[in-house]
Amino acid sequence: MREETRREAVWQFLTYGFILLGAVVTLVPLYWIFVASTLEESEFLSSTDPTLIPGDSFFSNFQALQARDNVQFVGHVGEMTHYIDFGPFYVAYDFWNLWNMGAIESSIFVAGVYTILSLLLCSMAGFAFAKYEFRFKQPIFYAILATLILPIQLLVIPLFLLMSQIGLTNSYWAIILPWLANPLGIFLMRQNMRSIPDALLESARMDGATEFQLYYKIALPTMKSSLAALSIILFLFQWNLFLFPLVILDQGKYTIPVAINQLVGAQRVYYDQIMVAATLSIIPIFVLFLFLQKQFVSGILAGSVKE
Amino acid sequence: MATRDSLSGPDPSVRDRLRFARQSVGERMPTPGEGIVGYVFLLPAFLLFGVFLAFPIVYTFYLSFFRFEGVGDETLLWIDTGFFSYRLTSIADLSFVGLDNYVRMFTDTLFHQAMFNTTFILVVQVPLMVALALLFAVALDASFVKLRGVFRTVLALPVSANLVAYSTVFLLMMQDAGLINYVLTSLGLPAIPWLTSSFWSRMTIVGAVTWRWTGYNMIILLAGLQNIPQQLYEAAEIDGANRIEKFRYVTVPQLRPVLLFVFVTSTIGTFKLFSEPVIINGGGAPLDSTITIVQYIYQTAFIDFRLGYASALTYVLIAIVSVLSAVQLNVGGESDA
Repeated sequence: MREETRREAVWQFLTYGFILLGAVVTLVPLYWIFVASTLEESEFLSSTDPTLIPGDSFFSNFQALQARDNVQFVGHVGEMTHYIDFGPFYVAYDFWNLWNMGAIESSIFVAGVYTILSLLLCSMAGFAFAKYEFRFKQPIFYAILATLILPIQLLVIPLFLLMSQIGLTNSYWAIILPWLANPLGIFLMRQNMRSIPDALLESARMDGATEFQLYYKIALPTMKSSLAALSIILFLFQWNLFLFPLVILDQGKYTIPVAINQLVGAQRVYYDQIMVAATLSIIPIFVLFLFLQKQFVSGILAGSVKE
Repeated sequence: MATRDSLSGPDPSVRDRLRFARQSVGERMPTPGEGIVGYVFLLPAFLLFGVFLAFPIVYTFYLSFFRFEGVGDETLLWIDTGFFSYRLTSIADLSFVGLDNYVRMFTDTLFHQAMFNTTFILVVQVPLMVALALLFAVALDASFVKLRGVFRTVLALPVSANLVAYSTVFLLMMQDAGLINYVLTSLGLPAIPWLTSSFWSRMTIVGAVTWRWTGYNMIILLAGLQNIPQQLYEAAEIDGANRIEKFRYVTVPQLRPVLLFVFVTSTIGTFKLFSEPVIINGGGAPLDSTITIVQYIYQTAFIDFRLGYASALTYVLIAIVSVLSAVQLNVGGESDA
């Protein structure tokens, strides 16, 4: 019996050791990027004496980053270098262009607009598939489902030609529109909306509700948790997009990934500035992650559902 | 509640009786116009889907039989009224080359190098990461582990890091004078040329991808573990199974569909590798030993502007990924039956 408990203790010790080791290996690079952003380059790129204690060079590194002429990382008020073309939405035009957006704001703006519009589109399409009968419903649904297996980021070549044709090169719409009708989003919404009872919709209809009211007064409120999980999938998808923005956007409109790539690609690599940029781009999402852990986890799991 | 009132019909009693009648019949009565409403809800998604997904899929295939000469300027349609003018031009200026683009792949050594690199990373990285993810999932699933939620969050944290930003961390840590080599040398081990030797630069990418995605896959596996019926473990215990045997004969077989899913999605993810080699290895350095397929497609298309050949390469990649996904669906289907 004592042998048994001793074995159990060793086992528990080993398990905890393994988990702790994993946690440390996970956290050290993240901590290191933060530390490096607060040090001078010579202090953290030293094979003899690297330090794990933050220094006080963050703001001077940040100023050096902001002073670069090939990348605008955080925006500022001042002389405009570029305008957001809102197309027909001229009302918003002057207001938005008071602020000269940098890569951080561009990324947040693009990912935010994308997430909201895509949630709307996917939930509408999912509602149609879940709660209505119409001709060719099954073929259309399976056609959309079939594209789930395609890595849609790979369609950059025809998309690039298409965008130059319709005059959307160097526009944020070019990196928002192509993936708005997200197959995974449509599939998830359809699966979840099937659980809305028909009787509920039917009685609302008899109360005189229009079909659109059924959608936004009944379907959307009952889908809150699915929408939250989906919004995280969509936001991170757009936040991490690199290839197509790299192809389609010009200097001054860069999103975070393209801007950081611009820093790395220069002849002389300024690691201190790159680390500031990386810190600034990682921290907002970490904060979101810590607040929305549950939705993150259900978002990851939602992405892995199979039927 | 003004809206609620405006929704109500003129005579509540008639409405209630109608509702009761329908509910007691227990069937859904057809609503006028329902056939069209479905299309209306679907229309925006369907239009975008057609223009930005279906069309590119078909057009990439079409392009792969042509040589790209330039962006099109031939006018197809020109509407010019007093109010607005609209000019539709052809998408691209092309010349037909038949199967040349596909034939050329057989002699393209850089393409072979890219395939080799991707496969190498795949063969090393995917099993390593899935094994690690499984071990972490099983460890966290153990009944005595406290603070499970905290550890799960910590291990999954890298997923939220921007793809390009996290690559820069590895770019920094893997320098000759970086953190990793400092740890190695202070342990008395030799420093490793992480970014300058062709073998080790691939291993750097393996390490970076593993660091980022292990926690993500662990979450999926952990959910799978929690679906395994507890009775199976109890039955195995009665049969005298120890920990390793329970893992071998209960956990792994029960987890098979989830493991397969993780394997296949990770494999597809490896085929799509782009930001890591671009950032960490500056686009394939040293000597193209880390260039990946997607990166090669990018260079062919947008630096050399050989869009036709790049389309053919894309289609080969799409074919590979589709076959892998089909395998996944089939195997997954089998295990459900």
